[in-house]
This record gives sequence, structure tokens and C-alpha cells, in this order.
Amino acid sequence: MNNYNVIVIGGGPAGLAAAIQAKKDCASVLLIERENRLGGILKQCIHDGFGLVRFEEKLSGPEYAGRFIDEFNSLGIESLTLSFVTKIEKKTDGFAIHIVNRGGTAVYTCSAIVLATGCRERTAKQVFIHGTRPSGVFTAGTAQHYINLMGEIPAKKCVILGSGDIGLIMARRLTLEGCEVLGVYEAKPTPSGLTRNIHQCLNDYGIPLYLSHTVTRVFGDERLEAVEISQVDEKMRPIDGTRKTVECDALILSVGLIPENELAETLGVQMDSGTKGPLCDQNLMTNVDGVFSCGNALHVNDLVDYVSESGETAGAAAAAYIKTGRKTVRFERGSGIMSLVPQMLNLEKGIDNVTVYFRSDEVANNRSLKISVDGEEKFRKKYAFLRPPEMERLVVDFSAFNLKPGSRIVFETEAAK
Amino acid sequence: MNIAKIRKKVAEASRGRVNAELKNNCIVLSGCVDSWDEAVEACSAAATPYSKIHVVNDVTVKNFIEKPMRMPALSDTALDGEKPDVLIIGGGISGASIARELSKWKLSILLVEKEPDFAMQASGRNDGEVHPGIDLSKGSLKHYYIRKGNKMYGDVCKELGVEFRRVGQYVCFNEAWAKPVIALYVWKRKHIDKIEDSEIISGKELHRREPSFNGSFKFAISNPSTGCVCPYGLTIAYAENAVMNGAEVMLNTAVTDMQVENGRIVSVATNRGTVFPRIVINAAGVFSEEIAKMANDRFFSIHPRRGTNSILDKKAGRYMHSVASIKELASSGGHTKGGGILHTVHDNLLIGPDAVETSEKENVATNPESIEKVFTRQKKTMPALSERDIITYFTGVRAPTFEEDFIIEKGRNCQNIIHCAGIQSPGLTTAPAVALDVEKMAVEMLGAAEKNTEFNPVRKPIPALRDMSDEERAKIIAENPDYGEIVCRCEEISKGEILDALNSPVCVPTLDGVKKRVRPGMGRCQGGFCSPLVTKIIAEFLGKPVEEVRKNYDGSVITYGTNKGGTAGE
Repeated sequence: MNNYNVIVIGGGPAGLAAAIQAKKDCASVLLIERENRLGGILKQCIHDGFGLVRFEEKLSGPEYAGRFIDEFNSLGIESLTLSFVTKIEKKTDGFAIHIVNRGGTAVYTCSAIVLATGCRERTAKQVFIHGTRPSGVFTAGTAQHYINLMGEIPAKKCVILGSGDIGLIMARRLTLEGCEVLGVYEAKPTPSGLTRNIHQCLNDYGIPLYLSHTVTRVFGDERLEAVEISQVDEKMRPIDGTRKTVECDALILSVGLIPENELAETLGVQMDSGTKGPLCDQNLMTNVDGVFSCGNALHVNDLVDYVSESGETAGAAAAAYIKTGRKTVRFERGSGIMSLVPQMLNLEKGIDNVTVYFRSDEVANNRSLKISVDGEEKFRKKYAFLRPPEMERLVVDFSAFNLKPGSRIVFETEAAK
Repeated sequence: MNIAKIRKKVAEASRGRVNAELKNNCIVLSGCVDSWDEAVEACSAAATPYSKIHVVNDVTVKNFIEKPMRMPALSDTALDGEKPDVLIIGGGISGASIARELSKWKLSILLVEKEPDFAMQASGRNDGEVHPGIDLSKGSLKHYYIRKGNKMYGDVCKELGVEFRRVGQYVCFNEAWAKPVIALYVWKRKHIDKIEDSEIISGKELHRREPSFNGSFKFAISNPSTGCVCPYGLTIAYAENAVMNGAEVMLNTAVTDMQVENGRIVSVATNRGTVFPRIVINAAGVFSEEIAKMANDRFFSIHPRRGTNSILDKKAGRYMHSVASIKELASSGGHTKGGGILHTVHDNLLIGPDAVETSEKENVATNPESIEKVFTRQKKTMPALSERDIITYFTGVRAPTFEEDFIIEKGRNCQNIIHCAGIQSPGLTTAPAVALDVEKMAVEMLGAAEKNTEFNPVRKPIPALRDMSDEERAKIIAENPDYGEIVCRCEEISKGEILDALNSPVCVPTLDGVKKRVRPGMGRCQGGFCSPLVTKIIAEFLGKPVEEVRKNYDGSVITYGTNKGGTAGE
């Protein structure tokens, strides 16, 4: 009774897409979500810009999620909300998922799991900010929760550290609510967010962006009173003599996202140092048979459209999953590649139409992505520019590459010829 | 006591700027120096370790203005005219444990704490180690109480519903040649100082027990009686049990003055009115010298010493399961300033603390140098240690005397005060034993007292759902569905547990108050996801708008009210 072909963990955009696709592919599906509503982080993303690739429309987060939730409901997919997965056990013929909710505890079994657990934000201490521990230091997502879901203003005069997209969005959002945003400070020499957000969220509102600057210290015994800002060198170390104190009552942090894979790790899923997510093959199956990963748990995406796409890939593969042997070859990240998904190919499955996502590790113009097999160039694609904040997506036909187990497949970028 | 000799030492340490005099059986230092560190150096030169004749620091430091003690924002007359039998000043581990032991008697007990919660300073800002006493010699109060205190931990924690684990400690050595010398040292500890369980183990045995430790260790001292506890959890438990048994607790209440007549405290002024206690117990931590001064009984001085600890992700908790430190024979002795590694009762790793003299009693700001220093040292014990696993760090300020021993005695010039001062490491370990002695002193000082026949030593803890089996969970959720609603995903804390914290004997309805009691926000996301939810639960519990919820102090506002025309969502 509690048995399904596929159980999806996480009801954000990745999980919704995975559940919908698995259901369309005739699997019995259960989705488990820990919050009280489906939609994940999109619930609090009331700005627009979602769905440009997928729907060729500018939707708000709740609108984008709403389209999937409607489809999810119309397909009659079962879901559990306000339900928290406490443990996943590996069984001989699948998995047993233990959950807790207001009704008590329960165990659900399945053949395949899709992990769509999203990501969390890096905190002040993880970027080594020192000083006191006042209130008024928020990650951007937390501030966004207060302002958009609870209707509470978390700041009057704030400094934003990090030019990640959420930080930029929050700069505009707080300005619109009457908060004075003194500036966005970014430790890197280039912005971390999408170019369009720099224009629409900062430039349009006259909010200054300070590159190669970081917050090193916070002051205030009760509420935040000021932050110390320093210029940093190319290794992001504070430069002596550049320190200044800026009075403010809030520090909003947008200093990176970390895929949440604590559940995955309990199953023995291996992690990739580049993406901080699981190592996956082209069907987004991890090294553990029957465990699939998608969305921001797999790797941090720049656009929700790709989150949904990876959910569909994982959902379809999970629905079709039958335990068979795997013959895999690993991809190698060569020079210029910060992250790459998938990280391996299963030669036993289709390899003629593989979606690959990568991020460059530097800002550069006129580059080529080169894929070589055992030292021989097999594929090349030109890019007018590559930037780390922007994820690149391409579809590659590996069937023409003559791959064998043990082939050395290297992805790298180089100056375009 | 040869004052001429001391005077000479002080003059040398201060280049002639500080003088020492013997006054009322105290060594009083006076003069003027350029920095706080110089004053500390002069006073330390005058002090004899563990001596009962204390150094009193009257040295002035050029251009130094001591920051006034931070006062609670609250000001009312709630306590005005109260006449408790016992007034305990300080809600740290000392004050809380004394209040609990005294609640075994039919006495009116009032505990005042200037902070908005218990264990806000040293008692909540230490590593939680229950020490074995290996570094302490006979003759000190620390040594006297540590053996008793350590032995009491199992029972006390059981009664109070606090987790305690006797995990054992390893002091690791790289120098094989030192083994005979250290063996002799351990023999002395065992047979002379009666720290009975210590033994030497080989490098091989050490690696069998803790495979992540540095492979170069040749041997280690093993102290199996070492344990760990949540220090603020224990303090809160003690205080709650005291309240359950009739003690009164007033948070946000600071002592500002005392009226003393004929060597007796007549009244004590606070920001909440003047009280008239029969006796006073000074458990005021870094401010115990000020309290003693108010009672005309200042015979010691405190020199604050801060220490910083880091907490690592639970994933790093898998590296080791005990308490460990490295002893490098080549480097100079002094205090154990590089700290250690400790696997906490919550399965995180704790790294630290360091030890830095400071003039600021309440400055708990952290500095990057502390973390760097401690990590450099601790990586020698366990190379897998990484700063990348840090989820948070915090600083506390210890309250040592210059003799580096505790002061646990009746007043010398004031007849109705008991001092529990100079408490620093291992003050957490000794607290249960010290509390029993202070209880005796207090009862004696008060004359006849009747036993409180209704005293219940047992405090039931708030259920920790994450540690339960599915069956146990289902049962408790059936009784209260709030236990089935997870609010903090990292630490797996339910709404039911949060409401239990708010309904506990001493309600501290702040984000930090809830966090210290049931841990939402203690995990790897540091409250990123749950803090808005917890804020909302507190607001609903109080029946107040969200903007009135605080992080800890009165001014620690979280939000400033609702947004433009917005109505609360969801």
C-alpha cells in the first residue's frame, strides 16, 4: 500500500518536474515535501524573470511554480506535505523511506528515489566574518522569507555582501520597501550574479556595487550597528589600510549556495568537488543504483528552467529504472571548467542525446569548449563569452565518439581559433 | 609571605612602576603602567599560585577607562522590599547549581542574573569538558573539588535530565624519549594526587581507539574519567530544578549597590528595586570582584581572560569521539593555551579554546587570529581537521584570580556573604561539588533551617524527538501532533519541542532562549531556514506581533514591522 515505483523527495521546481515526468511515464509516484506547501524556494521569489527559456514568458516564482503545481494536481500525483524524511534505508529491492509528520511516523517503499532537496545558503561564519553576534545579520533567503512570506521588514539601512542573484534581488526588494541599501560588496573582481540582475536590480535603482571588497567584521552588542569593510587582493585577503566602518542595521549575505545532500550521503552517494553535488551519469543517476539527483541538490543552477529540465531527466530515468549493470566512463574537468554535470556516462544507456551543463572558472571572451577522447579532439563549440555565474547548457551526441570503458574524456576551454 | 621578596619581583616585572604592600592580609599592588598587560604581568609576579593571600589590583593604566557593566534595559520595582533568606548573584553554572542545592531547604531563595538568560557568559561559552584533573596538584581548591565534581556528574546529569558522556581524554605526545618521564608524572598523579584512572597508552593503542589522530604520536596519557556535557544545558537544568523546588529567579536583574552596616549587608540595590537578604552569595563571574567591593570585602582581583571555540559540522564529528590535546615538550609551558578537540554531546566537534588576557570583561567579539592559532595547533593532533567544516565560533571570558585558584569561602570582612569567585576552568566540572559546600556554608550561616520535604531532584528533560525510534515518536505525536511538525531541518527539531521550551519553568521567549534549550538554529544552516519560523512561533506564543520578538537582548530587534500594506502571508 505504501509502495511506489518512484518517490521524489522535495517539492520545489526540481521535485515537481521529476514527479510529473515520472507519472507521465506511467510510474506510481509519491512526492514528499517538508514544508506545508509545494513550490520550494519559488514561494518567496516574488520577482519576475522565471520561465524565459521554458515558457518564453517572464513569470514570478509563485506563478512558475503554480504551472507545475497545477499539472501535478491534474495528474493526480500523491504528495505528503509538512512531512520530513528522517531516514532512508537501502533494501534488496529498493528503498524504505521513513517520514515523520503531524500524523505520526510512516515508512514508504520504492524502487527508485529522486533527491530534489535543493540547497542552503552559506552563512556569515562560513565566510569568516568576525566580531559580535548581534541580530540583523541575515542570509538573503532568510531576509526574503521575512519580507515576502511574513510581510516583515528586516532592515532599514543595510549593506549587502555578495553579488549572487538573491543578493541583487534583495537589494531591489528592500529598496522598494523603503530600506536604504548602502551598497553591494563583492569579494571577487567580477559580479557573481546574472548580468541582467546587475542592471535591473542595482543600476536601475542607483545602488552601488563595490567589487574586490568584503565585510570582515560586524559591530553591535544587540542589533547590528556597523560593519567593517576591507578591500581584498586577488586571493581575496583583506588589504591592510583599506578598512572602513559603515554604519547600518542589517547585513544581508548572498555568499553562495551549498547543495543539500546530507540524505544522499547517508546512502553512500559520492560527491563531486566541483558541483558539491552527487556524481551522476547522463540519466542523473548517482553512483548508488536507483538514487537520482536533480535541481539545486545536483548543482547550483542559474535559471529555474534548467532546474525543471534536470528534474524531468531524473524523473523519466527513475520511472524507467530497472536494476541493471552499469558500464561507466568518467568525464574529467580540464582547464577552464569549474563544474560539469553529468560527471559520467553510462555506456549501457542512450548516449546520443546527452544534456551537459558546465560553468567556466573565469570570465573570458572568445572561448571554445573542447571535448577530447584519449587526447583526440571530438567536439568543439564556440562561445563569445563565458562567465562563472552563467551556467552553459549544450546537447552532445557521444555515440560518434567511439567510447569504450576506460576512455579518457576531457572537457576544457581554450581560446577560440 | 615575604613582602620584600614580592616587592622586588613586582618591581622587576614592572620596571619599578608598581609597588606591593601587605594590607589586611592581601597583597595590594599600586602604581601606574602603560598597558593592561603590564598591570597583569605585575600582579602575576606578586601572586603565589593557589595562595589564600590574594593579590588585589589597584594598579592604574594610563588612558584606560574601564567600560561600565552593561545594564539591562528593564527598570521597575518588581523586587522592591523583598526579604529573601538567600540572594544569589549570578545565573551561571555556580549560581544555578547553588540555587538548586539550597532549594533542598525551606528557604526563600532569590537568584538574580543581569543577562536575559542563564549561562550567557562563561558558563555558556566554554567547551563543556568535564575534566579529569590530570594537570592539578594537591593543595588547590581546584584539585579538591575536581575529583568530587567529576565523580558526581553521572548522577547529577541523570537527575537533571541532561546528556553526559564519559568519553575519555587523550593527551598525545610525539617524543618517545619522554615516555619514562611522563610515566613518572602519571604515577605521581595517580598515587599522590589521587587522579586514579590515568594511564599511559602506546601510540598503537591510541590509533586503534582514534584512527584519525596523527600517526606520529608515540604515546598518550589516557584519562577515561573525562567527559563532556552541554554547559548551558546543564546550567539551565540546574536553574529550572531550583525553580521547580521553590526558588525565585529574576533575569535582566543587575545588582548596582549594597548597603553595609557593621560588617553586614543590609540591603542590595538592583534595577528592579532594593532587596533585603539575610545572606548573599557572590557568583558573579567576571564581576565577582565588584560584588565583593560593594560588600566591603574585596580581598582578591579578577583578570579576565578570553577564549574562543569553534564548532564544526556534525560530519566532522565522525573523525573522533573523545577529547584530545597535544602536548609539545619543546614549546614553553604556562596555561594550556592551544585548547583541544572535543566531540560534543550533540556530535559536533569543538575546537579550542585559546587564552588571551583582556581588560574587557564583556567583550565577546571573535577575532580571526584565535581561530587560526587554535587550528594550526589542533591539526597536529588530527590532520583531517579543516576550517571549512566550521559552522560557528564564539568567545567567552574567564574570571581567574591571580592565584589561579577558586575562592569558595565566607566573607573575610563581611559576615553575611559567601564568595564563589575566581571560577574558571575546571569550574564546570567542579560546580556540582562546590554547590554542595556552599549549601553547607549558607545553611550554617543562616542558623537553623528546615529541610524542604517536597524537594524533587528530578527534572524531566524536553523530549528529543530525533533520538527516538519511529514507534516512540509515533506515540508521542499521537499525544501532541506538534511533535510531528519539523521546524529546524538541520537539527530535526519539532514545533512541539519549541513550545515545550517556551513552556519550561523559566520562559525565555527569544530566538536564542529557544535555541539554547532545544537547538533550532544550532545546525549547519545556522537558522537560515528556521529562524523566521521560530520567530513566528514565539510571536504566536506571546500573542504579540513578530516585530516584538528579540534575538536575546532588549535591543536585538529582528524585524521592524510589517511592509507596505502587506498582510502576513500563508
